[in-house]
Amino acid sequence: MPQQLALPFAFNPELGFDQFHPGVNAEPVRHLRQTAAGMGERLIFLWGDSGAGKTHLLNACCREAAHRNRTISYLPLDLLIAWDAGALEGLEHQDLVCLDDVDRIAGDPAWEAALFILFNRLRELNRDLIVTATAPPARLSISLPDLKTRLGWGLTLRLHALADEDKLVALELHARSLGLDLPPQVGRFLLAHYPRDLPALRCLLGQLDHATLAAKRRLTIPFIKAFLGETT
Amino acid sequence: MSLLWSQCISKLEGELPPQQFNTWIRPLQAVESESELKLLAPNRFVLDWVKQHFIGKIEEVLSAQKTDSSPSVVLEIGTKKPESAEESSPSPARKAQSAKKNQPNNLNVAFSFETFVEGKSNQLAKAASMQVAQNVGRAYNPLFIYGGVGLGKTHLMHAIGNEILKSIPSANIVYLHSERFVSDMVKALQHNAINTFKEYYRTVDALLIDDIQFFAGKERSQEEFFHTFNTLLENKHQVVLTCDRYPKEIKGLEERLKSRFGWGLPVAVEPPDLETRVAILMSKAVHSGVDLPDEVAFFIGKRIRSNIRELEGALRRVIANSHFTGKPITLEFAKEALRDLIALQDRLINVENIQKTVAEYYKIRGADLLSSKRTRSITRPRQIAMALAKELTNHSLPEIGAMFGGRDHTTVLHACRKVQELRESDNKLAEDYSNLLRTLSA
Repeated sequence: MPQQLALPFAFNPELGFDQFHPGVNAEPVRHLRQTAAGMGERLIFLWGDSGAGKTHLLNACCREAAHRNRTISYLPLDLLIAWDAGALEGLEHQDLVCLDDVDRIAGDPAWEAALFILFNRLRELNRDLIVTATAPPARLSISLPDLKTRLGWGLTLRLHALADEDKLVALELHARSLGLDLPPQVGRFLLAHYPRDLPALRCLLGQLDHATLAAKRRLTIPFIKAFLGETT
Repeated sequence: MSLLWSQCISKLEGELPPQQFNTWIRPLQAVESESELKLLAPNRFVLDWVKQHFIGKIEEVLSAQKTDSSPSVVLEIGTKKPESAEESSPSPARKAQSAKKNQPNNLNVAFSFETFVEGKSNQLAKAASMQVAQNVGRAYNPLFIYGGVGLGKTHLMHAIGNEILKSIPSANIVYLHSERFVSDMVKALQHNAINTFKEYYRTVDALLIDDIQFFAGKERSQEEFFHTFNTLLENKHQVVLTCDRYPKEIKGLEERLKSRFGWGLPVAVEPPDLETRVAILMSKAVHSGVDLPDEVAFFIGKRIRSNIRELEGALRRVIANSHFTGKPITLEFAKEALRDLIALQDRLINVENIQKTVAEYYKIRGADLLSSKRTRSITRPRQIAMALAKELTNHSLPEIGAMFGGRDHTTVLHACRKVQELRESDNKLAEDYSNLLRTLSA
């Protein structure tokens, strides 16, 4: 019998604090929540490896701030660097500005200057700024020393990679947001047999979700083996 | 928020990927009237993007929300502010940070002479600043404060302004960053209001402009500033400027400006010594209502040497961690809280790195520092490298000697004393040493 086609609709899992499993990162998560709510540090610099969940947390901050009627701008610099630094103009009037992947603009004079200006204006107006990068401020190759030192002025927090048990919980949370039932033994199987970084695992889970829907099957270890045997 | 818009964004939030939604839809602010829904974008970039990619979608969602005729959507650049969602019960962190309410002149009241921690590295600059504040336009004009980033230049500048206001409350004082001067001027030109701009800046009692190195390469702004500067000085109104370097060293600045900046008193702010760093930490801790033990302040002060912002960042980290865990701040606690930061500093500063940096600075070979050569061009950099190794690492003198080609610890001791002596008598050497210190601990 031919396999039923799953409709290719885009499902957007929510990126809120409730969908984030903090594990060892309870402290940064709490500070981020407070700042998003307008009750914490004015400047947070959050760093950690790719896939640690920085983007998720920034988006969660936007949600949290919006619930409190605060005005927000979120800028994924990894994407915006292809355009011009005008993207940073006028943002000082927002209550909260979230800049994702600030390391991407390091060494670009126009972006660095624009961020320096924005930084000063946000500070003048007592606005909140959350910045993420893969390294702490002192390790970024930012050429403008005035900007580099300013980035380290606030609260610098590290987002640590999760231990396997926490990754399992994080995966279960993600599966739940997809509406997929992930039995613990299946989660452990995924962790033991496939790349253990969370973004890769989440992506795999997304594919498996699609495949179980199409096959009208539950997610089991034999199903995973068969599916990955088919796709590889 | 407009009800219609709030319904519209909850619909869009469900339909768009979170990142797209947060980047393009969240920043929009809505002003609703009978016939139109005006969406304000923070800048041209967002406006164009929304126009190109989302306006159709927004209109579609809006018409689905409204049963009768849906309002027309107008996109503009702007903001609804100034009102802001104010928190009901600000946290201690927030209270401490918000204490610095700004006045219309942009002066930050938290930056006063009383809160400025004085040390050997900045006492001259502080004394000159106090003189200027007490004798507006008559002491040093312009006062030119220069030095590396994060060393307290801006604090002094605000302190001057605040002090003047104490004795002359009606004084018209303007503090601004040089970049703001440039952008205001550009706006004035665009709106045909350059005369108002000129009038405004040329009639103030004291003009305080921060980071004037950002004037470099902006000829039209320099021209305008030159005239403003001259008018103010002629009328004996005070000008205070800060810069990251000595006037003559600013590239891209007109010679006539450089020479005028040197007319008054150029005064340097150096990186703070250990005792000053500790005093700064103590003062910041008191300001945050935190009890900071001496040994913790010394620990942080010894580890973070480059600038005050980094020092504040480290203290903030310790305080935040203590609030989070509910544990008191002890030496062990601080070491743990700053583990990442310290590991980073330790990786950056080691004897090999110091030797490499010094050799590059003096354009000699790294091997020369370890050799037995005794020419002046080699011995001086070698002595400086040894002194830096003593100041910046925790190695013992015999260890440092061993790492400099197997020298005796008395040679290291002699080098450190010699460098200390020369730093007080030889300006060039003192500057070299500061530059190296800054490079290594930045």
